[in-house]
Amino acid sequence: MSEVGLKRVLTLRTVVATSAGLTLASSSFVAAVQVAGFLAGDTAWLAILTGGLLCLGAASCFSELNARLPSAAGIRLYFSRAFNDRLALTVSLLYMAVVMGVVGAESYVLASVLSSALPAVPPLVWIVTMYLVVTGMNIRGIKIAGAFQDLITYGLMGSLLVLAFIALGRVGFQLTAPLAPGGVLAFINAVAVGVFLFVGFEWVTPLAEEVTQSRLVSQGMLLAVGLLSVVYALFTVAMTASTPREALVASPAPQMVFARTVLGPAGVFWMVVLSLAASITTFNAGLISVSRFIYASAREYVLPPVFSRLSLRFFTPWAAILTVFAAGVTISLVVLATHRYLVLVNLAAAMESVVYALAGLAVIRLRQKEPQAECPYRVKGGVFVPAITALVFAGLAVAVMFTDFYVSLYLLAGFVILWWYVHRVVPALKSKYQPRRPARRRRPVAEPADAGCEKT
Amino acid sequence: MASHEEITASLLAFQEGYNKNERLKIMNRDWDRVVLVQASDIPSQHTLELRNGELSVREGAPPRADLTVIADSETLADLFYGDITPTEPYMNGTLKIIGSEDDIVRLDFISLMIWGE
Repeated sequence: MSEVGLKRVLTLRTVVATSAGLTLASSSFVAAVQVAGFLAGDTAWLAILTGGLLCLGAASCFSELNARLPSAAGIRLYFSRAFNDRLALTVSLLYMAVVMGVVGAESYVLASVLSSALPAVPPLVWIVTMYLVVTGMNIRGIKIAGAFQDLITYGLMGSLLVLAFIALGRVGFQLTAPLAPGGVLAFINAVAVGVFLFVGFEWVTPLAEEVTQSRLVSQGMLLAVGLLSVVYALFTVAMTASTPREALVASPAPQMVFARTVLGPAGVFWMVVLSLAASITTFNAGLISVSRFIYASAREYVLPPVFSRLSLRFFTPWAAILTVFAAGVTISLVVLATHRYLVLVNLAAAMESVVYALAGLAVIRLRQKEPQAECPYRVKGGVFVPAITALVFAGLAVAVMFTDFYVSLYLLAGFVILWWYVHRVVPALKSKYQPRRPARRRRPVAEPADAGCEKT
Repeated sequence: MASHEEITASLLAFQEGYNKNERLKIMNRDWDRVVLVQASDIPSQHTLELRNGELSVREGAPPRADLTVIADSETLADLFYGDITPTEPYMNGTLKIIGSEDDIVRLDFISLMIWGE
């Protein structure tokens, strides 16, 4: 059969920008300060680079899964093929709930950034405005174009590096005890929370359907994680070297404290622009991912069909988008009232670790189950990388859960509720809504054969 | 396993359903797309072309496609006859659609409008 070219394709540059752009968020700076808070001296860079290195292992596993099953369905399909559909559905639903939590934390942090620049406007106004803008964009089907994504991501990473070097230059920075983190446990906790810095790099896998070769997605993920590791490591060291740690830890927007300390009002303005750029991609992508997941779930009767309603004008799933809007605003209001945004950061780090551990196991399982399946990319070194990824991320998930009791509680409760939902409610929904109409297909009628007789 | 002719018949049924729906034609006036429909288990390729809201079907592959729909012949025939929804085979990996996410949702929507849920 002839090979047919696709008219619209994405380049490696845009794949890297998308992967890194989805990961870079305003709440990343909060996690970076948390990482530094666990450690002594200037060792945050070590924990961040270690986290990045481990995420490279996870990225390799996602690359193999994506090469084997290039689909926007992502983990839902990978885990379904590797394990079973019910587990895949439970994990996917839980993951989407956690992504909503990340969006909630992100909106809170960005609102804090904007409120610190313009104190006259209360954070609630910023939060509702952000949701309205992004929901409006989603309903109208407006997406961030590839070239704009490139500009945002590379501009953001360049700016963070420039700011970091300015800060390090101003304080005449010299590394003191760069290899003494102050204990193994502290280091493990720092790496575990540091995983949050890379949350979302794998959200680029849906682009597998928009590139000519799935290896571009694999290369893009690896490059993005590598670039992010360097940018985060330098920026975190610059923040903690130039600004008192207590001030950073006490603020929901530590990047603003840092920018004000280093460059005064000009720094504040610069950081507001950077935070807006960092948030818009994550915020938008988070809401799109969750709403599309809700839509697809409703189409296969995992959720009530009402969520699959589409706008006849814009061809977007308005019911799913409005549901996400309502859930997102609720989460953000709870965060605003309780100020417990760090729980969401830790929850995302733990859930992401669980997903990465399962990705490692899925690679091993699929290699055993489907040894003959076409797979243009395989992680080198046999099962070493997938096995290490599974083990290390399982350990990191446990470490985060031990550090924060509420994370264990919420994750366990979420898993039990969704497990029950998948086992009890989903079959009921399918039996209620799955159509039972006669097949339209005009199948050829088989010729009746005489019983016991064979035509010769 | 369905035959190439069965897939052709299913696509013609799909085209008939589409062309009967005036509202759908108006909605797709500005959505000009070329879709390659390819069976993974038999040598069978078809082209669906949407231009100015009109849908045409022809046998064989186009020079360039906006969207490529790949599945085994049985799934393709069931899909275009409207006997199954695209979501389930898409989610379990039986059906692969290569193209932009928005175009995939639009194609799903057209199928929904023609055949219902």
